[in-house]
Amino acid sequence: MSKIPILINNFCKRNISVTATREGKRNFRKFVIPNKRGSVLHKKKQMTEDREFEIDKRGVRDIGYNLNGRLVIVPEMIPEIIVPNLKDFDLKPYVSYKAADVIQSEFTPSQLFDAVYSKKIVTDFKQGKLDEEGNPIEPSEEESLKPEEAIIRAKQTGSDIF
Amino acid sequence: MRIYGYLAKKVGDLTIKYSNFPESYVKKSYEQVYWKTPAGYPQYKKAQVARKKYRFTTNRPWTGQFRQQNEPGTLRKKVFLEPIRDWTFFRGDRVEVMVGKDKGKQGIVSQVIQERNWVIVEGLNTHLRVVGKDKNFPGITIQSEAPLLVTSDVKLVDPESLKATDVEWRYTEEGDKVRVSLASSRIIPIPKTAEETIDYKSKELYIDNIEKDTTADAATKITFAPKLRTFEMDIMEEMGIKEDRVPAKSYWY
Repeated sequence: MSKIPILINNFCKRNISVTATREGKRNFRKFVIPNKRGSVLHKKKQMTEDREFEIDKRGVRDIGYNLNGRLVIVPEMIPEIIVPNLKDFDLKPYVSYKAADVIQSEFTPSQLFDAVYSKKIVTDFKQGKLDEEGNPIEPSEEESLKPEEAIIRAKQTGSDIF
Repeated sequence: MRIYGYLAKKVGDLTIKYSNFPESYVKKSYEQVYWKTPAGYPQYKKAQVARKKYRFTTNRPWTGQFRQQNEPGTLRKKVFLEPIRDWTFFRGDRVEVMVGKDKGKQGIVSQVIQERNWVIVEGLNTHLRVVGKDKNFPGITIQSEAPLLVTSDVKLVDPESLKATDVEWRYTEEGDKVRVSLASSRIIPIPKTAEETIDYKSKELYIDNIEKDTTADAATKITFAPKLRTFEMDIMEEMGIKEDRVPAKSYWY
């Protein structure tokens, strides 16, 4: 009977944990596995359709679309850089230190409106060519432009920001 | 402590003005970034592990000697700087040395190093150093100036009495900020040499590089005419590119 407490002291060293369990979670947020990184299995899986991460194009835009696993090239998607002829062009890469600082205020959309439309509105008003609501009786090309038509014109350039 | 740290680690305004470099270039030239969070992933906040404490010296921060003196891994003892709100010393200022073997002598400031509150006066507070000493060669002795602390070792000189005075920044009746000597209330003007940089002695004396510099007239010429066109539409009209196809409707979500 006297030996039992000695045995307990020798190998009964289990404690009760009071802290929260980690449950095997480790913080892997900081590991980005871009295209060339990862194990062979991971890279093989990335090549198939059930890949874990999206393929990182590194900012390069596609020039076509995916059809049956092949890339179909669309010529309109290939960017065409249009550079005007710079012969007799005065502006150079640097500005001379002798040039004074040019301080310009921002050119706002309301200023653009004034520049394009205000003259005709004023002449129409003075000649009485505006109807009751203030719309012009003989609208010019800019005044008869609808918003949908304007967006189409802007998109025809090929830019997609509108 | 934090504000002091922020104030102390910035490169001085006068250094950047003297270099004619954009501030971002100067910062990039001496910063040592060890690791950055990957860019282009919105889930990772922008953060970096970079060196914060540099030892600023008489070598400018973008030079190779500075980089050698601040190699990654070098830890230097802290330099205790008095943060100065209004900087009063400029290149070309007449200044009197108050300490050292040249005490009482007046000289002209040749270099200003704001990061250490230093000023190098021409010909004063010098010491001799031997350069290039070899077994066969005795070496060349050069007299080089040691920097002087702006707060204690050096004082501006009153232009008329030619005596050392303390200086304050005050506003004139027109609204200009000027340095005024406290002993006699005389204005100490900022010397013309202060606007000297690596590229020119003064802006009027700068000689344009014909191939790369835009002239002042070309830079200030107004060629803008407001039109109801987007940038791309304007270019298409200028180049004579015609497009009749209408793009399909697309949506932004």
